[in-house]
Amino acid sequence: MEWYKLISLGTLAICLGSCIFHFIRLIQLGKPIDYSVQAGDTTKAVIYSLTGAMSPAKKESAYLHLPTYAAGILYHLGTFLAILLFFTIIAGASYSGILKLIIVLFLSVTTISGLIILIKRLVSPALKSLSNPDDYISNALVTLFQAFTVLVLTYPSFEWAYYVAVSLLLLYLPLGKLKHAIYFFAARYHLGYFLGYRGTWPPVKQNTRFSYDQRE
Amino acid sequence: MTRENKKKKAIEIVSRRDNGRMLSYLNSCVHCGLCADSCIFYLTGNDPKFIPARKVDLVASVYRRYNTLSGRLVPGLTGARELDDETVREMVDLLYGACTMCGRCTLHCSVGLDISEVVRTGRNMLSAMDLVPATLQSTVRAAMETGNNMGISKEDLVDTIKWLEEDLQFELDDNTARIPLDEPGKKVIYTLNPREPKFFPLSISAMAKIFHIAGESWTLSTRMYDVTNYAYFSGNDDEASEIVNRLADETLALGAEKVVLAECGHGSRSFRWEGPNYISRKYPFKVLTSVELINEYIREGRISPDLSKNTKKVTLHDPCNLVRGGGIMKQQREILNRAVSDFTEMNPFGNDNYCCGGGGGQLSMSEYNDRRMGAGKIKADQIKATGAEVVVTPCHNCVDQLIQINQAYKLNVQIKTMAEIVADAL
Repeated sequence: MEWYKLISLGTLAICLGSCIFHFIRLIQLGKPIDYSVQAGDTTKAVIYSLTGAMSPAKKESAYLHLPTYAAGILYHLGTFLAILLFFTIIAGASYSGILKLIIVLFLSVTTISGLIILIKRLVSPALKSLSNPDDYISNALVTLFQAFTVLVLTYPSFEWAYYVAVSLLLLYLPLGKLKHAIYFFAARYHLGYFLGYRGTWPPVKQNTRFSYDQRE
Repeated sequence: MTRENKKKKAIEIVSRRDNGRMLSYLNSCVHCGLCADSCIFYLTGNDPKFIPARKVDLVASVYRRYNTLSGRLVPGLTGARELDDETVREMVDLLYGACTMCGRCTLHCSVGLDISEVVRTGRNMLSAMDLVPATLQSTVRAAMETGNNMGISKEDLVDTIKWLEEDLQFELDDNTARIPLDEPGKKVIYTLNPREPKFFPLSISAMAKIFHIAGESWTLSTRMYDVTNYAYFSGNDDEASEIVNRLADETLALGAEKVVLAECGHGSRSFRWEGPNYISRKYPFKVLTSVELINEYIREGRISPDLSKNTKKVTLHDPCNLVRGGGIMKQQREILNRAVSDFTEMNPFGNDNYCCGGGGGQLSMSEYNDRRMGAGKIKADQIKATGAEVVVTPCHNCVDQLIQINQAYKLNVQIKTMAEIVADAL
């Protein structure tokens, strides 16, 4: 096996080990004991938290920023697809024809989405003020990962560069904010459970969205 | 306790591992900044430091510094911060002075962080370092030392209640109408926001009128009647527990079956929802808000408001802690639809309603008055847009803030509690 593949497998083991550690710790810690009297349906609320609450119909951070929201969704879909492809590529799968074309086109769009998000972070004063090096590095590594997936599918001779990009990402993932890949689902679960316990979520029907001053 | 020990205690608070909830929140923020538009301080102050993610990051960056590999080895990489004087100054300014813990950003967070809970954890840390703003702490101290946050003496309370009782008997032309004090064995112990006996006594007589007409068995306690718990705002859980224990003990001492919480958003939240967790035990009595009780009375036909007595256009301000933090949203609307003839909603309302700016202890922290009143512009604009003549809100802190907004933004509206508007219709 080539050196770069070995390295990527090594970094994958480190990354998975770290993710499993975080995941097990979260499961072991569980949710807080609540001594108050439950008023709502926590199951429905958790489901809502993971579904409807994230939709642009309900989430202000989405409906006020539809272009950013759309770019973010595409970017994440691209990441999931690129991860899936990594496992198939390292296992020896190859892609051709219409399937390859669709994947390459889709990942090109998601890579551009990642770039747009990175550029927004670089130029928006508000976003810049929130950012630390990890924000730029994380965004750049994931965007590069998608870009190199396109590259390796199109030009297989760049295989080594692809695996180097993958290895860098896998090595970096447990160190910074990319950890949210694990904590995101836990956060949404806890929020849904908390608001469901009190009867706040799922919400009763109310008027649709509004913004104080439509910013975007 | 030395300064170093206080700092150590604060770091322990943010590092604690008693459940996975806070751990998830502290590791989840991606700094997308999309929460900005949900915050009244950012929308009116237009300063990036007011973005809720910035407030989260103040707490999370300290967590990262002491609890993550990258934070320990290369703190600059992830913006991990020492809990030093500069960080602490910023925490005090933003976590106390630029957040009402209204939770609007929480509901709209891209990731799903309970931002107000993270802010309160930051306040826990600052409280452990004795850095609660003196103005806020003085309100807590008054409650701890006198039994109510306004330091009202028992004699003054009794005098006020006796005067209100006479007034009520006169209004109803009924000598059996009473405001019972310290009577054991009643079904309901009713609480008050100390602002009521001090500044808004008519809201007490309004609720007494409702109790009388509903034929309720109820009492007030002169020993412990304060529904508020400013230690919830300050972040001192020991003091918050003490305040909760006092009301729980008094309820048991009087043998009441139910505690009915007066119209106070944070008071309802801190006793009903946070209280049992502060004292780590379930209450052996029922707890409900006066809004729920009034709604029950109307549904059961125990009171029958005549909506033709309230013909002015009315709108409703949803208190954050009652609605987002307490799940009470339908009940206010059911009441108003039965008690007033012209009810109109604000836009947005319910879970999405904007905070008035008076929550989070802001009303007691005079050093942040300008920010608070600036943040109130959103509420003022919401009220103006409804064209309402009366604003109803089931929260005395909100009432105070709305009164000030009313003057500052020349809204020319009346501000009423839920009990007052219902009593007007009886």
